[in-house]
Amino acid sequence: MPVTGKSKSDALESLRRQLGRQIKSGTDLLQEREQKTIRLVTGLDGLNAALGGGLPQGQLTEIIGRGPSRGGGVVMAALLARARREGRYVMLFDIGAGFSIESFPEEDLESLLWVGCDSAKQAVEALDVATRDENFPLFLLDGRDCEPSDWKSVRAQQWYRILNQLRQREAVAVLFARSEVTSATKHRLELVSRLALDDLHQERETILSRARFQPVQRAAEDQEEQLRVG
Amino acid sequence: MRTKESQAGDHTLSGYAVVWCRDFRLQAVKRRSGRSVPAALVDDTQRQSVVLCCNALAARSGVEPGIATVQALARCPQLQVDRPSPAAELAAARMLLETTLGWVPGIEETGPGILTLDLATQPSTQWHESASRLHDRLAALGLEVVIGFGETPALARLAAQAALHGGAEVWHLRREERLEKLDQLPLIVAETGAGLNEKLRLWGLQSLGAFARLRREEVAARLGDEGVALWLRLSGRICRPLRLAKLEQLFEAHHDFDYEVREREPLLFIVQRFLEQLAGRVAQTGRATTAVHFLLTFADGACHAKRLPLPEPTLDPEVLFRLVSGHLDAFEMKAAVVALRLRFEPSDPVASQKTLFGAGLKNRHHYEETLKRLRKIVGSDRIGSPRPVDSHRPGLFEKAPLPAELSDSHRSSQASHRDRGRPARPILPAALSQGAGPPVTGPSFRRYPLGFRTSVQLRDGIPLRVESSRLSGIVIASAGPWKSGGDWWHQGQQWERSEWDVELLNQGVFRLVETGSEWLLEGYYD
Repeated sequence: MPVTGKSKSDALESLRRQLGRQIKSGTDLLQEREQKTIRLVTGLDGLNAALGGGLPQGQLTEIIGRGPSRGGGVVMAALLARARREGRYVMLFDIGAGFSIESFPEEDLESLLWVGCDSAKQAVEALDVATRDENFPLFLLDGRDCEPSDWKSVRAQQWYRILNQLRQREAVAVLFARSEVTSATKHRLELVSRLALDDLHQERETILSRARFQPVQRAAEDQEEQLRVG
Repeated sequence: MRTKESQAGDHTLSGYAVVWCRDFRLQAVKRRSGRSVPAALVDDTQRQSVVLCCNALAARSGVEPGIATVQALARCPQLQVDRPSPAAELAAARMLLETTLGWVPGIEETGPGILTLDLATQPSTQWHESASRLHDRLAALGLEVVIGFGETPALARLAAQAALHGGAEVWHLRREERLEKLDQLPLIVAETGAGLNEKLRLWGLQSLGAFARLRREEVAARLGDEGVALWLRLSGRICRPLRLAKLEQLFEAHHDFDYEVREREPLLFIVQRFLEQLAGRVAQTGRATTAVHFLLTFADGACHAKRLPLPEPTLDPEVLFRLVSGHLDAFEMKAAVVALRLRFEPSDPVASQKTLFGAGLKNRHHYEETLKRLRKIVGSDRIGSPRPVDSHRPGLFEKAPLPAELSDSHRSSQASHRDRGRPARPILPAALSQGAGPPVTGPSFRRYPLGFRTSVQLRDGIPLRVESSRLSGIVIASAGPWKSGGDWWHQGQQWERSEWDVELLNQGVFRLVETGSEWLLEGYYD
């Protein structure tokens, strides 16, 4: 028997009410997924707080220091020390090969594989290969000396492929840069503190406790690109 | 009933076994089909073709080694005749040896189709069970063998001969019943010369037991060295050392192409088949492979040989295939391939116990593959685990291999922090007492790859203003100079420098270096 008139609109309304309880919107699903993400606790209170508990596994996180002496190197050293303490291997892609061994305790280097890269493009290419390896749960990409234009040679698809590989392996990648790099990044933090000469005599823990992380709002073009590629 | 003492004695008894493949040359050629029909191998290289050996069915029809092939065919019209095949014999010998290696490791290839095994590593209570299992396994592969046990290699061989003549699968010549057992054996079993056999027969000796009961002096006086050698063999007083087969020479596969191969695909197809075969053969011996030897022969006579080592012993066909195919991908074939040879280097499987709280690489093979691919991208000298070198020159480090296992004792001590050439910075007791964690001295330093030539304005010897292509600014605070030098004992390599740590207004903390006549902006603290 065909449904007509008022009974039809009532039936639709009833159906909507029922579906409303069972079906969730895309935003709700994304939020749930975000809440369920396993996080790698870093031991850095400021960073953990800004990221909701730690570095999200299967994600790329950008830590931006818009100039020298913002504390990116200390954060990197802290991540390395924590990884060593927990028996995790770390791969560091050092763009420009400015790695300074005297800045790290010798024992923290035991679990580190250093990869010296000439350019941002080469580093991302190497990261693309490395993220397929299940031996490394943490990848650090040191692009602190790269100009924003250096990243333009990296194709967006490559970032998303890396992201996919990170998800598959539940690995974590942290990109240290001077400015925003890729729209594939879900979490982007800016180091807004600044180091002074007196800090050379401070304990690293003191410096780290003063480090301030500020979430960076995603630019509109970032979101557009993510929609287009992702 | 045996006492416990005698059983315990048996357990520790050393002994030998001889695995004898009956009519080995014939079996090698006709491994699968040669049993159900009368078959013989003939030598037709001479003027008249003669029978070299034949199977039991052919022997029942009157065929015997040495007679003319025509005569053999006349006696047994169904006789299948074949020529010897050295390749088939080699393959069968390899198979026989590799299969037997699954029983004991110490094996001598005594002759074609004859192996002598040192059973010292196995309790005597398991000999018969193991022999039966080996017999069945070889039978499944198309090789019919008999097995003899004895307290010396010579007696084990005698036992195998007895099994051959008696039609038994296994024959055991035990020490306590040696003479009684030898009484059952005819003289021919001892494989002595026809002259000695005839002489003994004329003496009225019908069995080896009767000969073994003679006194040694009488044997020596009447039969000389040959007689004494036989007497010593039968009495078990000669135990020669075995020349053990080398495992490295086994586990090889070879293919001659009927046509010239210029593409990789056909090669990879054969490689995959060989890898699976060889992995199966090595697995039977309870071992793994630690390297694959790869040899290509080209149409122009050139060869390409490469040993492809594995990070740890494995038999995973996928890992092995990736290893060989990865090498083939990187290798340019300048001529057509006519032959391919693969050999496995056997090794004991990994038997290391990881530390209780330590961690290690999850998959070493995958790690090695990743390393290879990364080296192709960044260069082989730009990858490794950084380790300090024995020098005060700043910025130097060596690239060591990443340890496969991480130690579980992680100490973070100020003493290991290498900020050399500088006065020690203040250390707080709390930092010293820490077990692990981030280093406790200042921010980390990041070096500019080449450094930037800088113009530095000084006041009273202290930097006041810095100008360079990278940055310029007013110095608001500075510390230094920190002087260092070294390598003065190496001609031409001497270095000397003065470092200044400077904070530039609104820009950060940097390191300036004065080397003789010029200033460099070396890097920044971050």
